[in-house]
Amino acid sequence: MPTVVLMDSSLSMTRPVSQEGSEEFQRKNLAVHGLTMLFEHMATNYKLEFTSLVAFSSLWELMVPFTRDYNTLQEALSNLEDYDKTCLESALHGVSNIVQQEWGSTCPCQVVLVTDGALGIGRGSLRHSLHTLKQRVEDKKFPLPFPFPAKMFIMCIANVEELQSTDAMDNLEQLIGLNGGEGQIFTMEGPLCLKSVQSMFGKLIDQAYTPFYAVLHCGNLASDVQVFPRPEPVLVDEEVDPIPKAVQTDLEIVGFIEIADISSPPVLSRHLVLPIAVNKEVDEVGAGTTEDAEEEPSANQMAGKSPNFCVLLHGSLKFVLLNQNNFYSKKKSNLMMSLFEPGPEPLPWLGKISQLGPISDAAENPYGEDDSKSPFPLQPKNKRSYAQNVTVWIKANGLQTDVQKILRNARKLPEKTQTFYKELNRLRKAALAFGFWELLKGVAELLERECTLLPDSAHPDAAFQLSHAAQQLKLASTGDSQYSAFNHNITPLHTDFSGGGAGDRM
Amino acid sequence: MKVTSSRFSHKTAFVVDHCPYMAESSRQMVECDMLTKSRGQGVIPLAPVSKSLWTCAVECSMEYCRILYDVYPTRKLVRSYVHYIVSDSEFHSLNSWRQEDQSTQELMAALASVGPPNPREDPECCSVLHGLVAAVESLCAITQYQHEARRTLMDVADRVANRGRIICLTNAKSDTHVRMLEDCVSETIQEQNKLAAGSDRLMPIQRCELVLVHIYPQGDDTLVSDRSRKELSSVLSSEVHSVRAGRHLASKLNILVQQHFDLASTTITNIPMKEEQHANTSANYDVELLHHRDAHLEFIKSAQPCFLCTGDLHMAGSTSRDSGLKETVTLKWCTPRTNNVELHYCTGAYRISPVDVNSRPSSCLTNFLLNGRSVLLEQPRKSGSKVISHMLSSHGGEIFLHVLNSTRSTLEDPPSISEGCGGRVTDYRITDFGEFMRENRLTPFSEGVLDASGRTSSERAKAQLERHTRYWPMIISQTTIFNMQAVVPLANLIVKESLSEEDVLTCQKTVFNLVDMERKNDPLPISTVGSRGKGPKRDEQYRIMWNELETLVKAHVGSSERHQRVLECISACRSKPPEEEERKKRGRKREDKEDKAEKNGKDADEKAWPDSERLKGPQEREKEEQTESEMIKDSPDSPEPLNKKPRLMSEEIQPPQKSKGPVSLLTMWTNRITATSRKHEVFAGRLNSVNNKAELYQHLKEDNGMDLHENGKATR
Repeated sequence: MPTVVLMDSSLSMTRPVSQEGSEEFQRKNLAVHGLTMLFEHMATNYKLEFTSLVAFSSLWELMVPFTRDYNTLQEALSNLEDYDKTCLESALHGVSNIVQQEWGSTCPCQVVLVTDGALGIGRGSLRHSLHTLKQRVEDKKFPLPFPFPAKMFIMCIANVEELQSTDAMDNLEQLIGLNGGEGQIFTMEGPLCLKSVQSMFGKLIDQAYTPFYAVLHCGNLASDVQVFPRPEPVLVDEEVDPIPKAVQTDLEIVGFIEIADISSPPVLSRHLVLPIAVNKEVDEVGAGTTEDAEEEPSANQMAGKSPNFCVLLHGSLKFVLLNQNNFYSKKKSNLMMSLFEPGPEPLPWLGKISQLGPISDAAENPYGEDDSKSPFPLQPKNKRSYAQNVTVWIKANGLQTDVQKILRNARKLPEKTQTFYKELNRLRKAALAFGFWELLKGVAELLERECTLLPDSAHPDAAFQLSHAAQQLKLASTGDSQYSAFNHNITPLHTDFSGGGAGDRM
Repeated sequence: MKVTSSRFSHKTAFVVDHCPYMAESSRQMVECDMLTKSRGQGVIPLAPVSKSLWTCAVECSMEYCRILYDVYPTRKLVRSYVHYIVSDSEFHSLNSWRQEDQSTQELMAALASVGPPNPREDPECCSVLHGLVAAVESLCAITQYQHEARRTLMDVADRVANRGRIICLTNAKSDTHVRMLEDCVSETIQEQNKLAAGSDRLMPIQRCELVLVHIYPQGDDTLVSDRSRKELSSVLSSEVHSVRAGRHLASKLNILVQQHFDLASTTITNIPMKEEQHANTSANYDVELLHHRDAHLEFIKSAQPCFLCTGDLHMAGSTSRDSGLKETVTLKWCTPRTNNVELHYCTGAYRISPVDVNSRPSSCLTNFLLNGRSVLLEQPRKSGSKVISHMLSSHGGEIFLHVLNSTRSTLEDPPSISEGCGGRVTDYRITDFGEFMRENRLTPFSEGVLDASGRTSSERAKAQLERHTRYWPMIISQTTIFNMQAVVPLANLIVKESLSEEDVLTCQKTVFNLVDMERKNDPLPISTVGSRGKGPKRDEQYRIMWNELETLVKAHVGSSERHQRVLECISACRSKPPEEEERKKRGRKREDKEDKAEKNGKDADEKAWPDSERLKGPQEREKEEQTESEMIKDSPDSPEPLNKKPRLMSEEIQPPQKSKGPVSLLTMWTNRITATSRKHEVFAGRLNSVNNKAELYQHLKEDNGMDLHENGKATR
């Protein structure tokens, strides 16, 4: 989850903090101190996080684009200059653009807004922005909610009392509300000093930047891992009250599935699974084995042929996780965990996850002795319309094509007897279902006409079949239940010309 | 939580008017005698046919159902059921909420049995009202899904929602007539809700959406005016659409199904397709697909006004030809190059339904996909950059539109594995773990299948993993037995939950085989990592091997009595010869001697090698070479491993030479098994012993390498 640090550089941030007996601080210094603490924490414990720094006043500027280089961020922070008044709306537009340009609109992000709670005056102030919220035209909408999922953390270099003495607190709460309630406002407790700013940023770190540690189990093999980015609880959108579901810290492997069978499944999020050493004596296990297989493809001809490094994990919260190796580049690969949508059946083509069992329990190996088969994908009970040759006559040409098919085959009787009747019955069924008896009569007439147009060279059977078919269609169009039953099929007339006489019917 | 229109989509009741006036012609003519034009004069073309209002209503409603069943099949989370009711002098229910009734084929058969309306029926006794009343009653009935939901949520059963939609296709007489229909529905809902409140088998309707579609013939003026949605009561809302029969009705229902089920349209453009007439040329075609609109999430969001240059993206805002007023997003076909199995980062997959399912371009595309190919789709952009944003792929006969992530990944440039912990270890048992994963692959079992101890499929899978990993050293240098081909039969069997008599016998044979190897002093693939010099002595190697084997078997000894017997066999056979104690007393002197002998032996070993090498399968050789190379890599500074080429397979490969040497233990043991009468077999060494002391390494005193020939000899 990339982070945007949105730093207030308005003049009000340079207000001194009254402090007795020590060197004089500006609010800005406290903010920088807090952010330094955050950056230091990330550099050691959360170093894969991409962070960017945006400074704003009435204008905004991208100081550092998304990076994992915390020295650069730190440096930019210490060289921050002071500008004019606060104008949050344009800065939030800036954040929205920066994030979308870099990560698109599906990647969840965190925005850390650092401000003193003086949110500007007049036009461009947050108060003004919020007041005019409902009077916006289409292309001047307020940037919140962001088009991407975002959490907004507002770090106020001020205490609650100060914010509540103006309408700043209300406005900030409204801002979080506009973000769908995703986020939190942090304020300083007690006097404004280094200690309280540390404790405030400490809370932010606990809330949003604690690494997710877990144990990956595969039977008795286990490995301590860090999962990055940390998996966030998911709300299940169902008819009843949603309860957020979180990923457990025990990740259990249930079994393995071929990559081809999983076949590009939709996932909620993807996470790197990085082995960590809890104490240095213990080598990592399990995960290490699979990873190393990637490191040495040459020494691993067999595993190369069966790249089933997909690991289905199943936590006791019925969370279904998929471990897979992702081939970003040929040289580097990592163990990856993908989170499926929670529920019994995240992938229709795998069936219910709880019903997946070991192949050794099957009567015969479903993969075949030579891996030529696969039990996946599962087939749905009903075929979809595009897989079952349905009849649709909504457009005239659909109907015309079907009639022409019959006529084409009619001219090639008796060779095409089977196809002729197949197409005829298809048309008959649809016409009966749609109550389109007029069509049945029309096609019957067409067939009778074809009969009269038959060339002299035509096989005598053709005439018999055509008049038989025409007669049957006419009978069906009367609605007589004997002839218009849906499941009844018109069968070819039994003729035998080998004996000579056309009357030799069976 | 957002309430979208699809919240109503669990239950849809179709009410189609079957009264005499529906038999009237739509007056839209269909020319079905097309070929005659090219067939010269004299042939009188057939008069064009026209569909009745009934036919138009039925085929458009079936199209609605077709799309619905394609995109929302019944087993997905959002289940959509259709109850189809026709109404004349009474109502006819064509299906039910039951899952097996939810298919277009079922409905077609039922419709055929109803037939078109009878124009001679007395119009006074016919009304669509019968159907509307039945529809309301049916919305109160509990579906299978609702029943399950209520059962699983016993305590909060009242939270299971009951919302629905009634789509009524009729020919109304006037706006007043429409109002009468609405009032009737509203009253019936009130009545039914009262009934349902006191019943376990019914559920009150919380919300109902009534969609009245008035159909009138072409060329007529409509007697009913369009009206957008209006709340009639807290439960019922209603809207009126006045549509001409024929293609207008079709596009209206197409728009409605998209609105009702949150669908969106994608047009795949530039699909190359062979021309029927000119087989060598290929023209490009477009195919329009419907799917859940979340597949366009990225477009919808970035279309929001922000200063981002989204203008680059070509949103085809123009009217799509097929679906009337709806917008469609155009995506370009990228001809698939390879059939590579690739795992894409996919953020969503949505079922599709072609708008024009029967057209040749549509069926070409769907057949191509159903045959197992996948197609990547590209966003057409004005600038040169190529952005792949979607993929079409079929899974088990269903086609899905996958949404692929086309932006930068936050997981890029992850830390190198070799720098992480455990990353410097180079001799992981990679091949073995690959085999382990193959054995622990999963397969679907039918619902509710439990084993004897009541475990579900996934519990059994986890139990199997647990058994298989009770003793599983991760690196080659930590294990001897897993580097030995000779142990494989036992190692594969012992992890099983239960053993057959035959399995036990195989395990025992494996043990005797090892005993035999030890007797012949075969080298073992013991790793030399961490030890200075040559590593442990041969008998020490066997001791390590036996210990390890015991550890493996002990881990499973609790599984069954037969597992226990395998352990007993090992304990009985493993080398704890009485000589060992004695030899230890004799001290280093003897060992030095042995050292020399071994060196000599090794030379001979190498000479004897090519023979057996030739006999080995290339795969085994590869495996051995791999083991060998890894071992060397492990300890670059240690001297060449003494057991350079483990000759574990040799005895099975060499032709039997019965005459040489003493009879092997294995032979004797098998003799013993077959000959049931004997109770105890004397240890082979003891048989040849002098003063009850068997001499070890008898052949060492003989010519160099002599023993080796015997070593490789099969003693069957």
